Amino acid sequence: MVYMRDYFFSVLNSNRVVALLLVTSLAACGRSPVDQVVNYDIEYPPEDGGTMIDATRGEPGGLITMIAGDAAASAVSQNIFNSLLRYDKNLEFEGELAESWQISPDQRVITFKLKPDLKWADGKPLTSADVLFTWQLLTDDKTRTPYGSDYKLVIKAETPDARTFRVTYAEPYAPAVNSWAGMDVLPKHLLEGQDINNTPFARNPVGSHYYKLEKWRPGEQISLVRNTLSTQGPARIDRLVSRFIPDEASQFLELMANNIDTMALSPVQYARIFPARPELQQKFALYKELGNSYTYLGFNLKRKPFNDIRVRKAINYAINKQELIDGVLLGMGEPVASPYKPGTRWTNPNLSPYSYDPARARELLREAGFKDTNGDGILERNGKPLTFEILTNQNKQREMSAVLVQRRLKEVGIDVKIRVLEWASFIGRFIKTGDFDMVLLGWQLAIDPDQYAIWHSSQQAPGQFNFIGYKNQRVDRLLERGRMELNPDKRMKIYHEFAEILLEDSPIVYLFAGYGLQAMHKRIKGIDNPAPPKGIGHNSQDWYIPRPLRRTEISQ
Amino acid sequence: MVPLLIGISLISFLIIHLAPGDITTTEAGFDPKASEESRQKLRELYNLDKPVIVQYGLWLQRIAKLDFGTSFASHQRPVFWRTKDKDGNITPGMIQEALPITLLINVLSLGLIIVIALPLGVVSALTQNRLPDRAITLFVFVGFAIPGFWLALLLMYWTGVVNDWLPISGLHSQGAEHMNWLAYAWDALKHLTLPVFISALSGLAGISLFVRNGMLDVLHQDYITTARAKGLPENTVVYGHALRNALLPLITIFGLSIPGLIGGSVIAESIFAIPGMGKLFYDAVLMRDFPVIMGILTIGSALTLLGNLLADLAYAWADPRVRRGVMQ
Repeated sequence: MVYMRDYFFSVLNSNRVVALLLVTSLAACGRSPVDQVVNYDIEYPPEDGGTMIDATRGEPGGLITMIAGDAAASAVSQNIFNSLLRYDKNLEFEGELAESWQISPDQRVITFKLKPDLKWADGKPLTSADVLFTWQLLTDDKTRTPYGSDYKLVIKAETPDARTFRVTYAEPYAPAVNSWAGMDVLPKHLLEGQDINNTPFARNPVGSHYYKLEKWRPGEQISLVRNTLSTQGPARIDRLVSRFIPDEASQFLELMANNIDTMALSPVQYARIFPARPELQQKFALYKELGNSYTYLGFNLKRKPFNDIRVRKAINYAINKQELIDGVLLGMGEPVASPYKPGTRWTNPNLSPYSYDPARARELLREAGFKDTNGDGILERNGKPLTFEILTNQNKQREMSAVLVQRRLKEVGIDVKIRVLEWASFIGRFIKTGDFDMVLLGWQLAIDPDQYAIWHSSQQAPGQFNFIGYKNQRVDRLLERGRMELNPDKRMKIYHEFAEILLEDSPIVYLFAGYGLQAMHKRIKGIDNPAPPKGIGHNSQDWYIPRPLRRTEISQ
Repeated sequence: MVPLLIGISLISFLIIHLAPGDITTTEAGFDPKASEESRQKLRELYNLDKPVIVQYGLWLQRIAKLDFGTSFASHQRPVFWRTKDKDGNITPGMIQEALPITLLINVLSLGLIIVIALPLGVVSALTQNRLPDRAITLFVFVGFAIPGFWLALLLMYWTGVVNDWLPISGLHSQGAEHMNWLAYAWDALKHLTLPVFISALSGLAGISLFVRNGMLDVLHQDYITTARAKGLPENTVVYGHALRNALLPLITIFGLSIPGLIGGSVIAESIFAIPGMGKLFYDAVLMRDFPVIMGILTIGSALTLLGNLLADLAYAWADPRVRRGVMQ
């Protein structure tokens, strides 16, 4: 019974941000803060040391990302483990453990040359044997990872010497390069002979990156301390602490009370609360970066009338995207016209989203044979009214978007009902079975342009990701070609064309891509503003906390 | 009790499997990098591809040996108690870590409820329908009706942001591991103040009204009139004769609240960032982490049955009339 009551309250919970607004506007008087004496805005020279505290909503399951797979795990482990490659601040590849990498003329072989004298945090040398070992783990059938498929395409992996790692593919596979930027290299000498699925190493890892694990207090926090043997040179800040605070409102209170240094903000916090509170602006700097996902309205293309392109386009024209951005995100987002991050090379600059044009929408629907014959404001064809259901999951932004879409579609004569579902039921009952009219969901704005899994017509079986049933032979061919082409410039052309066809076909309506919003205490210096495409975190190793601005720590 | 437990577990097992989706839809379920084949592989590993009744049989086999299994979630941690692997590494159990925290908060708040609600109830009864009674009733009902998360946020803001009196969330301060035990305990106590207060507030109404009504019933009994008539001091009448009898029904209430002791509140635990049982259960349901759900439900139902038994025994101990009934 206890649980039932809690579930009931959790529904009320979504209003908590509003409640917090009330709370914060109630009491305007602040505590007499000592830290107001400190001026955070003047320049300080870089120096080492200090502790930075952030808050995450979830606790990682473990710190081996290939097994854990949750966002909380990768947020922590990205400071502990290295990959062969990484993305630079403009989202182009650069070497991390690898000094250089070469692609053979037939594009089937990639050879990585490791940097010299790499060391694990425990002092043991890091060699190509560790890389090979990690690849073997990932592709082992006994390893319980959902991420093995990219790596299983490697037909031969070898280590000619301690600094060289070479992989051979049966045929050229462009996303391969991206996959080597996503594989955390694990230490062979500690994991050999262990069961990777439940090894204690997951909670007590040894890596090679800027930080190493200091202490993990279950349910409370993880603290990392600087790794002096880091393969990437030293970081400036001594300790990183991640506290697990599931509730957004509590995180915000902790931020206001100066107990955490940074948190991800909601649009309300960013665009309403901060501007209204000078004492917060005094202590915190706000950052805005490109979001990692876009929200869309997807049609079930196997159902009538969505197999008719005129109906899809009509709906696209009927929806006012700017209204969604202003209403749902308080302006903290932008419209997109392709499934790639705006401003990166994969985004076709010539494409622009469908404009808001209800007259055009009505005309297209008329062409498609829909007329309001009985005068109830809803269009019909062959006596059947144009009425659908939009499915979405419990996500405040998506629910609000659905309501705005509903209203705009009503204006052109389409009757829409909204159904909000819990995630697992949504996927299990509706997406897998293909039992839906329209879905309001999000996809990642992936850094690698390959979206074969989402748009290729062969990917429609239950559990696969082309659940809207999109099928276009030209797109299929482009996606196949894009996978075989490792030259970035040629690849770019392929995906620009792909995005153009996709926009024209309108199998989904791109609604918006929200910004990532971040508040950061001004004691943290050295942050790039405005944020480059990769986001503000790209140079976190150079961030520093000047001594006079440090939080007083409990004496040890 | 054993058939009852099996019945409860069978029904819970069937109900959680009725909900669509399983661990493979919640964990990396919507990541295009995760392929359907690898998800199918996971389903086979966890026996999720077998009929529900076969899965139940497998679960029952394990639970008969008191083996609660390991979580389906990626970390594969033991559900109930810690395990030791061949190298001597100890992995703590999920319930083992969450239970003491929840238990501590609930015992403290139950204690607080008793300490506050008993006097309130007695005063209410003695001043029936007069100002103190009205004021107390109003207070406990407001406490009952007020949304806990809202009050919690207000108090967190007031005691943690506006004034620097109490910590806002969590269980320990930064650097708590370097404190001596006294400072450590004081620090933990400060962290627990608000959560205990919030969870006690909603429980006040029930208990205090129970005491009030119990007292009123008893005060109108003939033997109280007799006691007064034979000139006993009022305090002896109220506390020696009336209260003792009025408290009897409370035994049932406390017996029934034993299973509640291990169930935390999701909302309070989320707001205060406390890793307790409520959050554990809630997350497990959302993740469709069946071993964890079943583990908590089994322990919860076993404790409910145990609570009932204890209440019955306590009744017999406290009330001679019941004892005589049992003897006959």
